[in-house]
Amino acid sequence: MDDIRNFCIIAHIDHGKSTLADRLIQRCGGVEDRDFRDQILDSMDIERERGITIKSNTITLRYTARDGKTYRLNLIDTPGHVDFSHEVRRSLMSCEGALLLVDASQGVEAQTVANLYLALEHDLEIVPVINKIDLPSADVDRIREEIDSDLGLDPFEAVLVSAKQGIGIDDVLEAIVTKLPAPQGDPEAPLRALIFDAQYDPYRGVVLICRIKEGSIRPGQKILLMHTDKEYKVEEVGLLQLKRVEADQLEAGAVGYVIAGVKAVSEINVGDTITESERPAAEPLPGYKEAKPVVFSSIYPISTDDYEDLAKALDKLKLNDASLTYQKDASQALGFGFRCGFLGLLHLEIVQERLEREYDLSLLLSAPSVQYEVVLNNGTEVIVDNPSLYPDPGSIKLTREPFIKASIMIPERYLGTVMELCRERRGYNTTYEFLAVGRLQVISELPLAEILFDFYDRLKTITQGYGSFDYDITDYRESDLVKVDILVNGDKVDALSQLVHREKARQRALHYCERLAETIHRQNFKIAIQGAIGGNVIARSTINAYRKDVTAKCYGGDISRKRKLLEKQKEGKKRMKMVGSVEIPQEAFLAVLKAGPDS
Amino acid sequence: MKPSEANPGLYLHIPFCSKICPYCDFAVLTGGPERRRRFTDHLVREISMWADERSTFQSIDTIYFGGGTPSALAQEDLTRILEAVQQNLSIRDDAWVFFEANPEDVTPESVRNWRDLGVCFLSLGIQSFDADALRFLGRRHTPEEARRSIEIARGAGFNTISIDLIYGLPDQPFEIWKRTLEQAVALQPDHLSCYQLTIHEGTPFGFRLERGKMSELPEDTQGELFLFTHSFLKDSGYPAYEVSNFARSPEHRSRHNQKYWHHVPYLGVGPSAHSFSGMRRWWNERTLKPYEARIGTGEKPIAGSEELTRSDLALETLMLGLRTVDGIDLISFRDSYGVDLLKRNEPLVERLVREGLLKVEGNVLVPTLAGLAVTDSLARVFELGER
Repeated sequence: MDDIRNFCIIAHIDHGKSTLADRLIQRCGGVEDRDFRDQILDSMDIERERGITIKSNTITLRYTARDGKTYRLNLIDTPGHVDFSHEVRRSLMSCEGALLLVDASQGVEAQTVANLYLALEHDLEIVPVINKIDLPSADVDRIREEIDSDLGLDPFEAVLVSAKQGIGIDDVLEAIVTKLPAPQGDPEAPLRALIFDAQYDPYRGVVLICRIKEGSIRPGQKILLMHTDKEYKVEEVGLLQLKRVEADQLEAGAVGYVIAGVKAVSEINVGDTITESERPAAEPLPGYKEAKPVVFSSIYPISTDDYEDLAKALDKLKLNDASLTYQKDASQALGFGFRCGFLGLLHLEIVQERLEREYDLSLLLSAPSVQYEVVLNNGTEVIVDNPSLYPDPGSIKLTREPFIKASIMIPERYLGTVMELCRERRGYNTTYEFLAVGRLQVISELPLAEILFDFYDRLKTITQGYGSFDYDITDYRESDLVKVDILVNGDKVDALSQLVHREKARQRALHYCERLAETIHRQNFKIAIQGAIGGNVIARSTINAYRKDVTAKCYGGDISRKRKLLEKQKEGKKRMKMVGSVEIPQEAFLAVLKAGPDS
Repeated sequence: MKPSEANPGLYLHIPFCSKICPYCDFAVLTGGPERRRRFTDHLVREISMWADERSTFQSIDTIYFGGGTPSALAQEDLTRILEAVQQNLSIRDDAWVFFEANPEDVTPESVRNWRDLGVCFLSLGIQSFDADALRFLGRRHTPEEARRSIEIARGAGFNTISIDLIYGLPDQPFEIWKRTLEQAVALQPDHLSCYQLTIHEGTPFGFRLERGKMSELPEDTQGELFLFTHSFLKDSGYPAYEVSNFARSPEHRSRHNQKYWHHVPYLGVGPSAHSFSGMRRWWNERTLKPYEARIGTGEKPIAGSEELTRSDLALETLMLGLRTVDGIDLISFRDSYGVDLLKRNEPLVERLVREGLLKVEGNVLVPTLAGLAVTDSLARVFELGER
């Protein structure tokens, strides 16, 4: 077990985590050069395009250290976005140590701190790594100070690297071997293995990615998942070396995969503990928390014919994405669809993109909503995440909405604007503390609904890119909620209805009306767009009828060209939704639903 | 005019101009007399290639010289072309010759020459009577020359004198356009074509627009100008018969151009010219070099063609019919394309009638003036396919 090191790399987004992982893998010969591609652990196109890790990946590296011994280094890749913090937690639980990556010019950011705290919570040994030292803007001394003052780590322990240039990679590997502890755990004890990830393989079913904490696991063994109380028989175990490499068994301290006849990712819970059926452990491993969706939106196919395809695609996606939830839903404006739950807005966007890209669907998504608690006059309490299921306002005693604790790191000069942003977003108890000279952390209690739209973008804008942000959901609080409907020529567009705080209702309604007026094309009649609470119109805009839409010349050569253009335009109309007699293009829904009210 | 009853037309594209206007996206070029003579050789040869197939376009009764600037061709070149037409194609004795000319080419001598060639319909590229507008449009004539050209032409005995005008210039005050129309009407032409300026990609105006050095008029202003132009000309005795065409009386309508809008067959010769045989449309090489090269090797310079399906023809009939005051004959539409346009689009038509864009007059669906102004949008919303 002394020759094993289980570690992860934690970093703020863009600080070069995937590049460092690439270099470590290359240095250890984990992959032939000809097979190599950038961000090798990021298997989805979206991950590589957006430069973020969505699904964590794990790889076992063999490294012969300066002490002559060969070590098995298990690099447990972690996602780098707040939406996926539950995945980060689980990854951390399978490690003994972490490389904390800091960008040599950007310095310590909110996620760096948040991730450090998470790592410390799990008693990990931390090695700071300063990356991108080759950049002209690199300022290693300043970053060292920040590591000391913001993070409380020994700045002189920090390894200096440029993952891009391949500088300092051996120093990182040596630090992993010498500074991170070997795993502990009794290989003879009853089996306890943490499932920290699961992948779907169309041929083998679900592949469980595990960290064996105690005991051992081998093919033929009967296993029990302690939280779901389900039994399986192990078919195969092995190590992950980009490809799966079969092994006789996995022992305490090891990180590897287990195939045990699990059909769908949704059957199991990532975070669950595997034990032996014959000799079960007394307790599951600590820290189990189910990932619950916090953002809800309805997904509709643009063409109603695609409903079945959407259903199939969601089924398939769900095999690989346990945190996605969905159930049937129907909208008057948009037809049949699915009400889906997501971990956050990024998760929502990723699901949408994967459905569109991998399954070739054109989709419309309704306004994202959080989950509200509604207490009725008769005392019953209902949970509402879909505006169309919002009870009659007369029957409601009170409503509550979820709150988060946001921690925002910024240079001091942006304090005023960031405090103002928090105030605009209905923040409570907004406070701040200095982390170092000129840098501070703002803490604010905000309604989750207020950060759903464009909080992060706005923060980036007003702090010229210097602000960073992380959050935890804390509790539900009473809130004055109203349902805002959008009407187009008097017809309600149910997919645009939404629940908002009364103070924000007018602003939101106006925003929707204006965006619709910008994106709905003129038609042959005037179109009135209204925002209303009940029968009460609170915002409106108008789209005038066409005044001129005629090609001046249409002679011999123009006719074919004009007919083809007309055919194209008629084809485009199929991508529009009819609300009453008004054609609403998909872009209108997208434009409205995508951008927040303050952008 | 029913396609089956009407005689086909002939279009001859003369691609030369003394100067290329900055808004023009036609196939045009400048070139000296030698270049023009060589082109005439090729055009004559192309016409002769149709001799064996003259029966495809039987009894042609309109011959249209367009361009470019037909008036840029020498009399002897024009004569050679018309001789080739007479020799190789099936032309009715009473066929009308239509001819586009620029004011600067109009002299007592040139109009006499054109008359001698048999020109009945003379279309003058006046564009404006305002010096600033003419400069902006890159024209070579002055307002005075424009007026004089009309007077000279009037004495020559053409059946119809038409003048072309352009409106909707980005910085042109409304008053200037109004005065141009007043001056045009005062000169008593038989026919007017008033084109709202369209800025095409790839033209100098297009580049200016792209780089933000020129802007298009707002849609609402364009709409107002369109309506004003139509009302003004109607009140002055020139009712529109098409989106951009106005005639003193039905006899003075362009018999040739109406063929395009009624699916009457036409043969087009010269670079970029399009032809239509009733079920097929084809077009020539757009630029002069490949056009002449193809003819040089003894083949027709056809660059592409399309077979028109019944639904293609139906869509064209709809879009073209909604551009003319004759509208769409619903019965012949149903007979030809198997679609009852009204029944298939019942709530839509009701709505468009209520909005004042369409009228149903007996068995004819007719755009109103407001409907003409938005006719492209009307053509988009009709359903023609199976339910």
